[in-house]
Amino acid sequence: MTPPLLQYVSNLQRLVPWLCYSFAFSASIFVFSERAHAVPPRVNIGNAMNAEDESSSGIFGFLSNWRRTSNLLGNMWGLRSELGKYGATLAIQETSEVMGNLTGGVHRGAAYNGLTQAILQVNTQRAFGWYGGTFNVSMEQIHGRSLSADNLQVFQTASGIEADRSTRLWELWFDQKFFDQQQLDIKIGQQSLDQEYMISNNALTFVNTMFGWPMVPSADLPGGGPAYPLSTLGARAKYWAATPLYILGGIYSGSPSRSWSEDPQKSNRSGTSFPLNRGVMAIIEFQYVYPALGEMVSPDGPQPLSHIYRLGAWYDSEPFADQYYDNTHTPLASSDSNGNPKNHRGAFSLYAVIDQMIWRSRSDVNRTLNIFGRAMGVPQAERVPIDFSMNFGLTLKDPLPYRTDDTFGIGMGYTHVSGALARNDKAVHRYQGTYSPAQGGETFVEVTYQYQFTGWMQWQPDFQYIFNPSGGIPNPIHPNRRIRDELILGFRTNIAL
Amino acid sequence: MFSRSLTSLGSLAFVFSLFVSGAHAEGKGFLETIHRHRTLASTSPGNGDLNPYAIVVVPRDMGILHKNDVLVTNFNNINNLQGTGTTIVAYSPQTKNISVFANLPPNLSACPGGIGLTTALTVLKSGWVVVGSAPSKDGSTRTRGEGCMLVLDATGKLVTTWKGPDISSPWGDIASRDNGDTASIFVSMSGFDLPGPNVLDPKTHYPPILQKATVVRFDLSIPHDGPPVVDHQTVVAKGFSARADRDNYLFGPTGLALDDDGTLYVTDGYDNEVTAVDDALHRTTPVTRQNDAVGRLITKGKLLNWPLAMMWVPGHHLLVANGRNGQVVEIDPSQKKQIYAQWVDNDQAQQPPGNGDLFGLAMTPDNKGFYYVEDDMNTLNLSTP
Repeated sequence: MTPPLLQYVSNLQRLVPWLCYSFAFSASIFVFSERAHAVPPRVNIGNAMNAEDESSSGIFGFLSNWRRTSNLLGNMWGLRSELGKYGATLAIQETSEVMGNLTGGVHRGAAYNGLTQAILQVNTQRAFGWYGGTFNVSMEQIHGRSLSADNLQVFQTASGIEADRSTRLWELWFDQKFFDQQQLDIKIGQQSLDQEYMISNNALTFVNTMFGWPMVPSADLPGGGPAYPLSTLGARAKYWAATPLYILGGIYSGSPSRSWSEDPQKSNRSGTSFPLNRGVMAIIEFQYVYPALGEMVSPDGPQPLSHIYRLGAWYDSEPFADQYYDNTHTPLASSDSNGNPKNHRGAFSLYAVIDQMIWRSRSDVNRTLNIFGRAMGVPQAERVPIDFSMNFGLTLKDPLPYRTDDTFGIGMGYTHVSGALARNDKAVHRYQGTYSPAQGGETFVEVTYQYQFTGWMQWQPDFQYIFNPSGGIPNPIHPNRRIRDELILGFRTNIAL
Repeated sequence: MFSRSLTSLGSLAFVFSLFVSGAHAEGKGFLETIHRHRTLASTSPGNGDLNPYAIVVVPRDMGILHKNDVLVTNFNNINNLQGTGTTIVAYSPQTKNISVFANLPPNLSACPGGIGLTTALTVLKSGWVVVGSAPSKDGSTRTRGEGCMLVLDATGKLVTTWKGPDISSPWGDIASRDNGDTASIFVSMSGFDLPGPNVLDPKTHYPPILQKATVVRFDLSIPHDGPPVVDHQTVVAKGFSARADRDNYLFGPTGLALDDDGTLYVTDGYDNEVTAVDDALHRTTPVTRQNDAVGRLITKGKLLNWPLAMMWVPGHHLLVANGRNGQVVEIDPSQKKQIYAQWVDNDQAQQPPGNGDLFGLAMTPDNKGFYYVEDDMNTLNLSTP
């Protein structure tokens, strides 16, 4: 019943080329030498459990009931029911989209982009009577090309599935629940943090990357952090501390790549290098949830509306490069600089997320209006390129009569370049004389409609407008002026195979 | 910053109000004694059937069943296709595992339209299991069959079926008065001309609401050497609302609970109400719809949100599972009032939380807790003090 959810990806390293255009050699190249990522569209494992049993209906039997089935390929010619005997569920989802910028950017044009996800999960109780265990392995196949990298050159990339073309292992973990009411839940293995932390449930409807894994960790963490299409080894616990309060926390490898200098998507191309030679990342999140399990409700007066509030923080012990000075305390933009940025040990960030239902229709309770907001910052702004980012938006579920599974959304995102990096921009102009305006903030708005065409297919027309791309960087084609604001139209489809 | 402070203060006030309301609720009824909720097991058997609906506790050892085993029907097959589930699974509190009690053939000539097992399930003292089937071919009411009632022995073997003009998509709980060698069982019927879910009323843009659903009483005699025989079948109430639905198959009367004095309480899901049918054990003519209710109106709206299964709880109160959120609602039928509700499913993957998850209910043998299903997760769950 529940339609697949949307999540997002980004690739910030492709923002680097403008720097290369501007400077034959510049220490500024360190600024965005790391990738950033978001959350890909979430696969609905439950739908895959619901595969149609058409195995006796011939090779095209799966088409016999295509309007009602939850997976296009139904029972996959008997494979899914065979797996089901061993408590295993196979889910495969294709996300395909075409996006194009009508105005602004470096070029105008359109691009096709696609992601295939495959997830195999085994419920250990169904498999061999072991209560509370789940084994999970997932893979990604990324195809097409990135509009954001080729045309837009923005921080907050337009689509959450953009990444390098590759076929790679994504997550590989085992999860075990403990105690009487499953109060404790421990997960160990290769994990992608965008699947659990900093999530806004309502924001997942949107297409832009920043409604998934946010801008701050995307830009600031090594390799963009352990988020799609990457992951990292670690262990995390989720503990139900009191009726409305959950605590989620974990310790992970500090970087998704063994390499200190290479692009993690390239140095760990298959997702199987399992780096443990790097620093440590620790993250904790407090979740205040209404309704909590067991919460009582009075028939007198209005019922409170559901919400989740999250407060969290992360710390990564990796070295973080200063955005202005080299290791001799000379400005990186100066010709006297050795080009090696001063390294700081570790960085931390604080964040808050709110999801709140604000209205529920009396005549059709499926129709709900929800707001979401998310804000985060890095106090040690000299060592990160982005020191603040936020999202805000509204979603209306069941927006039209008898469109229970559709969602209309309007949202925005804002990201702010750190003062140190902005100073560096000015210094580049001062020392090198090139046009290098100080970067500031980048803002975008997005309007989208997610239409559930069949149980296995969603259609999603999308509109985005990006103000001041990359906080106001020079256009590499016209180095004496900034990249102009961008109007983007797109169409995405999610297909559960 | 100021708004964030306000939010924090609001949260504190909210927690305090919950505490206060909880304190006021002391001694009102059954739900306030319930504090623990846990998942017991997956209800999906090896053939991949899904969507658990009915829950019944086995009253004594019989056949392959043991006393206190919990039977659960599955309405869907390995697909998300409603009206195609063919299995009844048994949860053993001893082994804490699920096994298949019955796996019926998907097509039976004696059961028009196929097999899709519903919330209509009971285990008679004599060891017979009676279950309703509201079948479909494509998972919607477009290909709905009229269905049947099936009788199984205590080994899960099908022994007979009942069908006829009064049997149309047997849907809701089975309430019964079981005397051993005779029994009266009540089943709600929600079919009766229900069209497919894409046939819309041009005025509302939703499927049309038909007020043809009924509750039927089957008066059974149960010989020592054979399955129950239907001596009489009587429509005791008719005119309940029913409506096809794309996601939920149909809305119709679901919960049935029989009082000691012969009053039958019914949840009318679409109309969000609980009504009472007097003298249900003996009446020979049906109660019909008047003033938007079939029978005496007990309570309507408020906490009720697509009420589904219903059962008796200590204090001679009724407990109702909401379909549109993850709450169970306690009702005092004698006072005609709702007492309170409790969230037993707070899954925010749905909005409102738990929307579309709950269905069947059954008390535990010690009468202190209750079983429920979550049909999004395909699990049997238990709430206890």
